[in-house]
Amino acid sequence: MVQDDGSMVSVRGLYKRFKDLPVLLNLSFDIPRGKIFGYIGPNGAGKTTTIKIMTGLIHDFQGDVIIEGRSIRQRDASLSSLIGYLPQQTALQEWRTVDQTLRTFGRLSGLEATEVSSRIDEVTQMLGITEYRGRKVSKLSGGTLQKVGMAQAMLHRPKLMVLDEPVAGLDPESRVLFKQLFRRLSREGTTVFFSSHILSDIEDIADTIGILGRGRMRYIGSMEELRGRVGRNTEVLLETVEPMPDNIMFQGIPHIDHVERITDNRFQMTLQDQKYVDLVVDRTIKAVLANGRHVRGIYPTKQSLESLYLSYIGSEDEA
Amino acid sequence: MSLRLLFLDELNGFYRSKVMVALWIGLPVMALLLYLIVPDIEGMPITTFTALLVSSIGGLLTSVLIVVNILNEKEKKVYDLFMVRPINRGNLLLAKFSAVYLCVMIASLVAIFLAAFLDAATKGHDIGSMLGSLDESLILTASLMAINCSAGVLIGVFAGSVLVGVLLVIFGSNQLSSLVVLPMITDVGEMWMTGLASIAISVVLLAGAVLVFNRKEF
Repeated sequence: MVQDDGSMVSVRGLYKRFKDLPVLLNLSFDIPRGKIFGYIGPNGAGKTTTIKIMTGLIHDFQGDVIIEGRSIRQRDASLSSLIGYLPQQTALQEWRTVDQTLRTFGRLSGLEATEVSSRIDEVTQMLGITEYRGRKVSKLSGGTLQKVGMAQAMLHRPKLMVLDEPVAGLDPESRVLFKQLFRRLSREGTTVFFSSHILSDIEDIADTIGILGRGRMRYIGSMEELRGRVGRNTEVLLETVEPMPDNIMFQGIPHIDHVERITDNRFQMTLQDQKYVDLVVDRTIKAVLANGRHVRGIYPTKQSLESLYLSYIGSEDEA
Repeated sequence: MSLRLLFLDELNGFYRSKVMVALWIGLPVMALLLYLIVPDIEGMPITTFTALLVSSIGGLLTSVLIVVNILNEKEKKVYDLFMVRPINRGNLLLAKFSAVYLCVMIASLVAIFLAAFLDAATKGHDIGSMLGSLDESLILTASLMAINCSAGVLIGVFAGSVLVGVLLVIFGSNQLSSLVVLPMITDVGEMWMTGLASIAISVVLLAGAVLVFNRKEF
C-alpha cells in the first residue's frame, strides 16, 4: 500500500532510551516524497538514533516508522531494497577493492550480475572515483572512502536515501559534488534524507529542514520559512561592569526565550518577540542594579540564522 | 542466494588474507621443523606427527582467527552496511563460519598431504596406506575445528573486546572442544560418536550465535 499524502516516510511517536538516558522523546515528522530533507541538530541530539531506527539497525524502540506505507517493524526485505544508507563513518571490509565492495553490495541489494557492472560504471563516474576501482579499501583516503560509501548507497537506485552526516569531513570540492548529486537524485524522484550538525551544510540544499533538539523536533518547515523568521525575533546583548556569577537574575524577566552566557560579564538574550525589547531592556537594567552590579552597555540586535537555530536547539519547551 | 554470495565473498577474502597465507605455508613448515627438533619421536612418520600437531593447534587457530575477525568487524561497524540490505543476518555468520572452517581444514589437509609425500619420498612409505591410517585422526581434527570455529562465532558475537574474546576462546572453546575427545580417550564410545557430538555442539553454538546476532543492535 502506498501512502497518498505525499510522504515517503512518516515517523510516528518515536521514543528511544539507552539505559537511563532518553534520546528520542515522542518524535514525529514526515518526509515528503522526492524532496531533500535536512535533519539538523547538535551532537547527541538523536539524529543517528533516528537514522538507525529508520534503516532497521535499531529495532527496540517505541513508535513506528512508515516507509511507502509499510512499517519498518515488519522487517520486510523488499522495504530494505527501497533504502540506500550511508553511515556517519563508512566502514568496509578492508581486504576488498572498491570494485569488489560495490559488486557485493549491489548483488546483496538485489541487482543482477550484469546490471551491477553497468551501475558501478555509472556511479563511480558520477562520484569521480573510477580510477580507484581496483584499489583496496584500506588504501583509500577518508574523502574517497566517503565517496565509495555514497556509491554503495545509490547503487541499487533506492527510492529513499538515508545519509548520516554525508558531507562531514569532505573537502569543499567534494561537498559541492555531493550537494549536486543530492539535487540530481531529488530531480529523478529519489527522496533524500540527510543529517548534519552544521546549519550551513543544509541551508543551501534542503527543501525541508527539521531541527532536532534534545530528542524532540523543534522546528520543521522550509528553509525559506525559517529565513523569514530571521530578524523578526530580537536579541539583546548585555555587558556588565562586574562579572555575573550566574543567569539567575534573568529568571524574573518576562518574554526572554533563551539566555546564552558569552563571558562572565556578557550575555545574549533571545526574546520571544521584538515588541518586548524596551520592556526587557528596562527590566534587565533594574535586575543588574538590584544585584549590586553596573551596566556597561545593553544593545538590541537582529537575530542571525545561526542564533535562531541555536535558540531552537537550546529551548527546553516542546516545539 | 545471499548465503552463497556471502560465503563465496568471505572465502575470497579469507584465502588470500595474511593469516591464511601464513597458515598455508606455516603449518607444513612448522610441522616439519617440530618433527626435526622434537626428541623421542624416532620411527614416527612425519604424516602422523603432522596430523597430531594439526588436530591439537588447528582448533585453537580457527577459533582465534574467527573471533578476532568478527570482533574487529563489529567494532568498526562493518556489518551496518550488510544489515540494512535484504539479507538474513544469520547468513553473515554462517558464511563466515563456513569460509574460515573450509580454509583452515584445507590448510590442515595440505600440511598432512605434504607430510605424506615427504614420508613417501624419504622413507618409501605408501601414501595411500599412510593417509588411510589417519582417518580417525582427520575426523577428530575436523570435529575439534568445527566446535572451536562455532564457539568462536558465538564468542565473537557477544564479547565486548578482542582481548575478552581471545581469553574466552582459549579458556572456553578449547575446553569445550576437548569434551568430544572423551569417548575416544575413555574407550567408552567410537569415533562416529565424536563426529556426531561435534556436529550437534556446533549446530547449537551457531544457532545461539545467530539468535544473539539477530537481536543485537548496532
